[in-house]
Amino acid sequence: MYGWIWRHLPGNVWLRALISLVLALAVVYVLFQYVFPWAEPLLPFNDVTVDNGMNATNGMAAVR
Amino acid sequence: MAIRLVVRTLSELCVTAGALIVLFVVYILFWTGVRADSAMNGELDRLQNTWATGSLAPAEPTPAPTATGGTPSAAPPAAAPAPYRNGTSFAVMYIPRLGSGWHKPVLQGTGSGVLKKGLGHYTDTARLGETGNFSVAGHRRTYGDPFKDFPKLRKGDRVYLFDGTSWYTYVLDRDPFRTVPTDVGVIDPVPRESGWTAPGRYLTLTTCDPEWGHSHRLIAWAHLETVSPAEQGRPKGLSG
Repeated sequence: MYGWIWRHLPGNVWLRALISLVLALAVVYVLFQYVFPWAEPLLPFNDVTVDNGMNATNGMAAVR
Repeated sequence: MAIRLVVRTLSELCVTAGALIVLFVVYILFWTGVRADSAMNGELDRLQNTWATGSLAPAEPTPAPTATGGTPSAAPPAAAPAPYRNGTSFAVMYIPRLGSGWHKPVLQGTGSGVLKKGLGHYTDTARLGETGNFSVAGHRRTYGDPFKDFPKLRKGDRVYLFDGTSWYTYVLDRDPFRTVPTDVGVIDPVPRESGWTAPGRYLTLTTCDPEWGHSHRLIAWAHLETVSPAEQGRPKGLSG
């Protein structure tokens, strides 16, 4: 997988390394900005209200 | 050669999955805290600005001179304080037991988006300082860990709230109470397990228990001890 990507990157070794770094950073950014915020409510850390208010996406529907 | 390819791909997938998990842990433990701290500071700054510019209604509800004849004044603006706006902070909470510098903004609503920016006031419960049960939820872990040390709270601890015009001092009536998430009665005007028998000006704090789980909730109950106007400065028990 990674070998395949490496072989298909253009340029010499340094350029490939640079592109790889940029790609890795882009992946981390997408994860932190979009994927993890989406996945995080699926885990139990932020259920702090009574009656599962946390599962409601809008604050109005918090309790009862 | 085919087997080598399979093994290599499999190992790469495992490494990738491991890296993902590590990144997610970093996100939960560290990044949510960074984001929450900046959001909470933003809310605190916003509150300070609001209070500094005096856009809040004045504390003394002076009865407006009754409109003479022709011009019927619509709603007397200063009579009723403005309702809390959902997702907007309206007070700052100080709990010395959770740390000498511990202070967090209190926002209206308990949605997950709101609780990323501070503590959340249950919308159906009483307003700050009023008769009823002013109930507030906060994260135990992640998003700045505001209620991390919740179990250290003890009977007699003070909880101070400042809303721009007054300081409200609440006193805890018992050690934290552990219950299940469906026990919505804990934020009733007079919760059954609290030991209170008559309606009063109460405060309820809720967070999750165990620290990283969601099977239970920790509850702290307090009653209003004093209210002092902002001009008198911070309450004596609150240093700094």
